[in-house]
Amino acid sequence: MTSKLDFMTSSSGLSRRHVLKGAAAAASVAGFGGLSRLALADSPLKGESLHLSILGIAGWVPSSLGVKMSPIFAEYAKQKYGYDVDFSFADAPFSALFQKAATSLATRSQEYNIIISDSQWLGAFAKPKWVVKIDDLLKEQPGLTPEWYSPVISATYQTYPDGSQQLWGLPQEGDVVALYVRKDMLEDPAEKEAFKKKYNKDLPQTFDDFAELTMAEFEKVAEFFTRPDKNLYGTAMQYSREYDFISCFLYPFMWSRGGEIWDPKTAQVHGILNSKVNAEALEQMKHWLKYMPDGALNYGIAEEIDVFTQGKVFSCFQWAAVGPAMIPDALKGKVMVVPPPKHGNGSDAKRVYTFGGQSWVINAFNDENNMQATIDFMRWWYQPDVQLEYAKRGGNPCDKATLSRSDFDDMQPWFRTYKYMLAEGRSRDFWHHPKYAEMLSVQQEAFTSFMTGQTSDPMKVLDYVACKQQSILFEAGTAKEKAPDTCASISL
Amino acid sequence: MQSNRSGSPASRGLLAAMHPTGQAGLTARFFALLNDRRFLPLMLLTPVLVFFIIWNTIPLLWLLGLSFQKYSLTSGDDPAFTGFANYLEILGNSSVWQDLSRTFVWVFLSVVLQTGLGVALGFLFWGSHKLPGRRIALTLLFAPMVLTPVATGTFFRLIYDPTFGILNQVIRAIGLPSVDFLGQSSTAFWAVLAVDTWMWTPFLMLMTLAALGSVPKAELEAAEVDQLPWHQRLRLIILHHGKFILMLGVLLRTIDSFKTMDLVLQMTKGGPGSTTNLVALTLYRQSFESFNLGWSSALAVILLLISIAFTSIFIFVLNLKRRGDAA
Amino acid sequence: MSNLRQTLYHALLWLISLLFFSPVAWLMLSSFKGRNDILAVPAKLVFTPTLDNYVQLFERNGFLQQLLNSFIMSVAAVIVAVVVSFLAAFCFSRFKPKGTDFLMFLLLSVRMLPGTAVILPVYLMYVAFGWKDSHAALTLFYAMFSIPFSVWILKGFIDGVSLRFDETGLVNGASWWHVIFRVVLPQVRPGLIAAFIFNMIFVWNEFLFDYIIGGRKTANVPVALATGAYADGGVDWAFVSTLSTVYLLPPIIAIYVFQRYLLVGMTFGTVRGEV
Repeated sequence: MTSKLDFMTSSSGLSRRHVLKGAAAAASVAGFGGLSRLALADSPLKGESLHLSILGIAGWVPSSLGVKMSPIFAEYAKQKYGYDVDFSFADAPFSALFQKAATSLATRSQEYNIIISDSQWLGAFAKPKWVVKIDDLLKEQPGLTPEWYSPVISATYQTYPDGSQQLWGLPQEGDVVALYVRKDMLEDPAEKEAFKKKYNKDLPQTFDDFAELTMAEFEKVAEFFTRPDKNLYGTAMQYSREYDFISCFLYPFMWSRGGEIWDPKTAQVHGILNSKVNAEALEQMKHWLKYMPDGALNYGIAEEIDVFTQGKVFSCFQWAAVGPAMIPDALKGKVMVVPPPKHGNGSDAKRVYTFGGQSWVINAFNDENNMQATIDFMRWWYQPDVQLEYAKRGGNPCDKATLSRSDFDDMQPWFRTYKYMLAEGRSRDFWHHPKYAEMLSVQQEAFTSFMTGQTSDPMKVLDYVACKQQSILFEAGTAKEKAPDTCASISL
Repeated sequence: MQSNRSGSPASRGLLAAMHPTGQAGLTARFFALLNDRRFLPLMLLTPVLVFFIIWNTIPLLWLLGLSFQKYSLTSGDDPAFTGFANYLEILGNSSVWQDLSRTFVWVFLSVVLQTGLGVALGFLFWGSHKLPGRRIALTLLFAPMVLTPVATGTFFRLIYDPTFGILNQVIRAIGLPSVDFLGQSSTAFWAVLAVDTWMWTPFLMLMTLAALGSVPKAELEAAEVDQLPWHQRLRLIILHHGKFILMLGVLLRTIDSFKTMDLVLQMTKGGPGSTTNLVALTLYRQSFESFNLGWSSALAVILLLISIAFTSIFIFVLNLKRRGDAA
Repeated sequence: MSNLRQTLYHALLWLISLLFFSPVAWLMLSSFKGRNDILAVPAKLVFTPTLDNYVQLFERNGFLQQLLNSFIMSVAAVIVAVVVSFLAAFCFSRFKPKGTDFLMFLLLSVRMLPGTAVILPVYLMYVAFGWKDSHAALTLFYAMFSIPFSVWILKGFIDGVSLRFDETGLVNGASWWHVIFRVVLPQVRPGLIAAFIFNMIFVWNEFLFDYIIGGRKTANVPVALATGAYADGGVDWAFVSTLSTVYLLPPIIAIYVFQRYLLVGMTFGTVRGEV
């Protein structure tokens, strides 16, 4: 009833509501004066009581931060716009989030009004038009989003198809691969001396030391700390078949050595992925297993956190996003987060690691009220003080204002590395294609099959993946070329 | 009163003869219908049939129809008829064949292992009526069967873990090197099989106990008196009465084993490589991760046909046995 | 059997039971440990038990709702299934309509279908009918799931009830319904309980369907476990073990209380010896 009354009394609201038809049109809340003093009177939702539901990634710090901060928005909305809003949350693990969202969105349901999506899912959400097209929204809502820290932010968290101007998501959490190292072990005088004696070199000590470090040099450090009799190992990476785990940690080996995974323009995979460089990358990654605990072949995000926080490894290649979990109270001050090493030698040495991170995507089937509240939420989310609060709680913001603050680097142990790895060229994302799941599943199977010895020839593994992905992309109508005939008989 | 009556004079008379008022007469007629021997069987079956049609026939027809279409939920395109294209693709897809053969090995090993162990345990517990705390012992024994498979899968990851797992700690304690059970392609399959066996051996033991329970005591006592050799007792008395239940247990286990999905999903996601990728998982992934609904439907139809073949063989055998029982 | 042999025999039986139970015991033990104790190497058998995990579990957002969902949906589904199955089983047993064998086979075939194969069309159907995330729709699906086996068990039991009971009742003027519910039903109680318990175990632990055709409102505990197993990036072992322990208790108690019925039930009413 309240909504009807409101509807009748506010003539501006009336005209607005007529405009709002369907999802795309909902974006056209013309001239919404969220920032003006008159905002309170102007909000079409004034006096309403709303309920929003967010679907996020289970057990993922940044997702739960978004959730934990929502009561602040509720208060803000009450004061500024004069409506009540409360939130409910659902979550699913990485590998299941899209299916949870997709099975619901396919019913045109509003079960989840806002979804936190891994960046690679953008295509799969966008193609069936399940989510709001953000560039249309931005035309109607200028100033909704702030200036991003770097152009890669938009390319990674917003754009589908790759290289186009179409935006489908809003950056929620920026994320990069970082190297977590045990500072207390590095600074131990006995260790320093022993290392010097053994390798005639100094143990790297500072952020800058690590920024210059190559994999070959880091290998010595990892070897040095590998002491199976003491149940301590040099490092850990992710080799698990689950979701994208092994892929994200194999790509740096490929990209940093000059390998490519596809040509985004022609969607050509065959002949590009199955290259000699990439075969070497596979072998290199397998080689590193000897500095890791026995279970490393099964490591994903969670397992790495377990071994690192329980002191079983000296270092860990891990997402910056799980900083709060990697550095619990017991390890505060004992951990340093640094850029992961470069690949190659001398001046040719390069580091190109993988982007992680998630976007907000907005359910296109939200009704007018929910859509309005969602837009209010987004506008609030990107305010500098909210982003600052997010950063202080351990989230990785993407806006220029927050990242450019002079105190940003020291706000969290991993922030300096996060910012460093955000710089153009140091991190990359991979396909934002609707066929993401299928392409990923093929290579997760093939890569783990190589790492665990089920298949021994790296080239065969890459040929297999290239053939399968080429034909997936061709069938989807994206790739121009068919998989070559040699693919017909290929198997792992 | 009079005005309430309905129907022709003749029927009114008949009704009036049965009951003084028409209202009650209608009710009575309704009850008579309910109690009519001609309609009763249909009435009794109707609820089951309704369930069967709504939750079985309709979905299956839907599935069949979809299997001839190209339809991807995430493409945004409408389904398009492609004839047998999906079936042909599957039949020519070597990884599906690999998954299928792996699944057959899985079914064979799990059924043989669990039946062997379950039957052995069933016989062992047969004479255990004097066991102190028997009810508690059996409850403990049945616990693996009722622990949520999701929990089993997740928790066994911890048990198997080379660094923190209790199993590897035991192995190290007796002086052997620890094993990365779920991480190596040589061990993962067996490690998952072991958990499955742990979960379902109690079920076959339960069926064995039930089968033994259906053996008449008198016949066993007579065999004791006649000093019949054990293999004859087994064949002539125990199997004669118990084989139906036992076979049903094996059948149920075969079917369920063919369907194994959540355990593998929780423990290994089918990896490492494809070493534990059972065909039910492939189907799940193609339907709800890749959303290739047409292709998945075709695979589902193929799996249904295989299941029905399984069952038919078992039922055929069971029927023969039952006929044998009756004779 | 000599005393010593009997003692050894009993010891062996207990050993086997405990061996099978040991992983469950380890899980239960973990639920009283803090995170560091769970991951401790060497494993801790002696530790300071804590109830924190339980307190946290019950304070968890939505947990009670999920527990209630599990409980209501599985009990309702199995009751519906048992009633429906009993009627059908009576029909099959007493009237042997044409095609009884075929129908029985058809019913059993429901249970053979791989869940992953059925879920796809069921999902699409639920979407089309607007049934997704509805308690009733999910419950009725579970009921369907439980019907085949219940029919099989109950038919066995009803076969075992002599026809004379029916005849006596009918001759004395009782209706068929009286015979069905007042004469036959009480005699097949073990079968009803067995069917109830057996299907309960499956529905109670069901994950896939609740996950796909359920939703936020209807999530049950296995779904909560699968989605909630991760916290702050790591596997929340305390949550996994505590939730599993809590969730295991009802079926364990049921097995203890109704053990005899479970064993008798599986004989399909043909019990002639000791179970």
